[in-house]
Amino acid sequence: MSLAGKRILVAKPGLDGHDIGAKIITLALRDAGADVIYTGLRKSPDYIARVAVDEDVDALGLSILSGSHHELLAQTRTELAARDAADIKIFVGGTIPPQDHQALIDAGAARIFTSEMTIDHVLAELELALTETA
Amino acid sequence: MSDNPPLNRRQLSRELTAASRATAGQLINRVGPDRERRAYRIGFTGPPGAGKSTLIAQLAAARAESEARVGVLAIDPSSPLSGGSILGDRIRMDEVADSPDLFIRSLPSRWAHDGLTGNVAEMLQIMDRHHFDEVFLETVGVGQTDHAVKALVDTVVLVLVPESGDSIQAMKAGILEMADVYVVNKSDRPNAERIVGEIEGVLALSTGSRRGWQPPVVTTSATRNELGDLLGALASHRAWTEANRDDLAWRRRAERHHVQSVLNQQIAEIAEQAPVELFDASGAEIYAHFLTHLTPPGD
Repeated sequence: MSLAGKRILVAKPGLDGHDIGAKIITLALRDAGADVIYTGLRKSPDYIARVAVDEDVDALGLSILSGSHHELLAQTRTELAARDAADIKIFVGGTIPPQDHQALIDAGAARIFTSEMTIDHVLAELELALTETA
Repeated sequence: MSDNPPLNRRQLSRELTAASRATAGQLINRVGPDRERRAYRIGFTGPPGAGKSTLIAQLAAARAESEARVGVLAIDPSSPLSGGSILGDRIRMDEVADSPDLFIRSLPSRWAHDGLTGNVAEMLQIMDRHHFDEVFLETVGVGQTDHAVKALVDTVVLVLVPESGDSIQAMKAGILEMADVYVVNKSDRPNAERIVGEIEGVLALSTGSRRGWQPPVVTTSATRNELGDLLGALASHRAWTEANRDDLAWRRRAERHHVQSVLNQQIAEIAEQAPVELFDASGAEIYAHFLTHLTPPGD
């Protein structure tokens, strides 16, 4: 597994209170050899960016079920840029309608993951995304 | 403190990553002797669930009031199966001390089996270069084998809970001899006073190697933000250490730990890179393979 030694932050921004998906991804990433930090529920983009920088993560996953994915992605990217960390790869997962995927990619998300995808597919795509240069 | 340059968190963070990813061959020359002025280091050890992370966060919050630059290195166990880890300590800390001035770094134990992580000696020196006043090092918390931390820090704090009673006897010859300050956390629970008495009883029997320091036993309730006499106990041990420490012995212990740790890492790397068929051979042949693959630094 080439996620070995990768540092990944799984974060729950915004107000939705369900994190089974984030936890499943956290465990899957660990089982693929990554070192994973999970923030817990209801964190602000400011907090998430601060943890991403202090922990020097290779990738940051935002798990969003609330429908606020456009705003939360934009705010998180702003906070990362303010910390000279715009290069950290972001992937967005959760309840993301298919028609929104391209807009999120255009707004800087490296990948969009939804519950229809298998874990193996998610891990393979993430691995691929980490090898791409911005 | 005030005359220090502002903390460059991205830079610091990347230096720590580079240190954690260095191979054994690169490592041996990377850790120099400690600088004259460096952060005061406190190691926290004790069984899982004793509340080490919460206690550290309370301490850090108390220190923040004095504008000291405080850093935390928190080590969590790596999975022996996948090599991956879930690093959860900082989440408990942030819930208590969500301060932009506090720097927390989570570290996986990886191949290390002594409660620490590879190359933690260099990481501590990186913290020194970034002008931290104090660094808290949280071990994995596997219990009796965590005494390696003693080689790296100035003060060792052993965190126990009232339920630790049965293990006190078993710990007599292990970490219980090594700590400088004993904490019975979650002291709002029953039996806290009894376990304080038991620890004091064990300590009374083993004063030989402490060079005159009488380790205090303090009670805390971290979730209630009751640090009791812990701040005073830490200050006393720091003053005692600065006046009485045998610096030569301390340096020797640190260097011994560093070299052992590099060797352990190199052996782990050889095991990882060995073809699986190697392990069909006899014990003596496998051993010879390891010996021939141990290489001098830089190779």
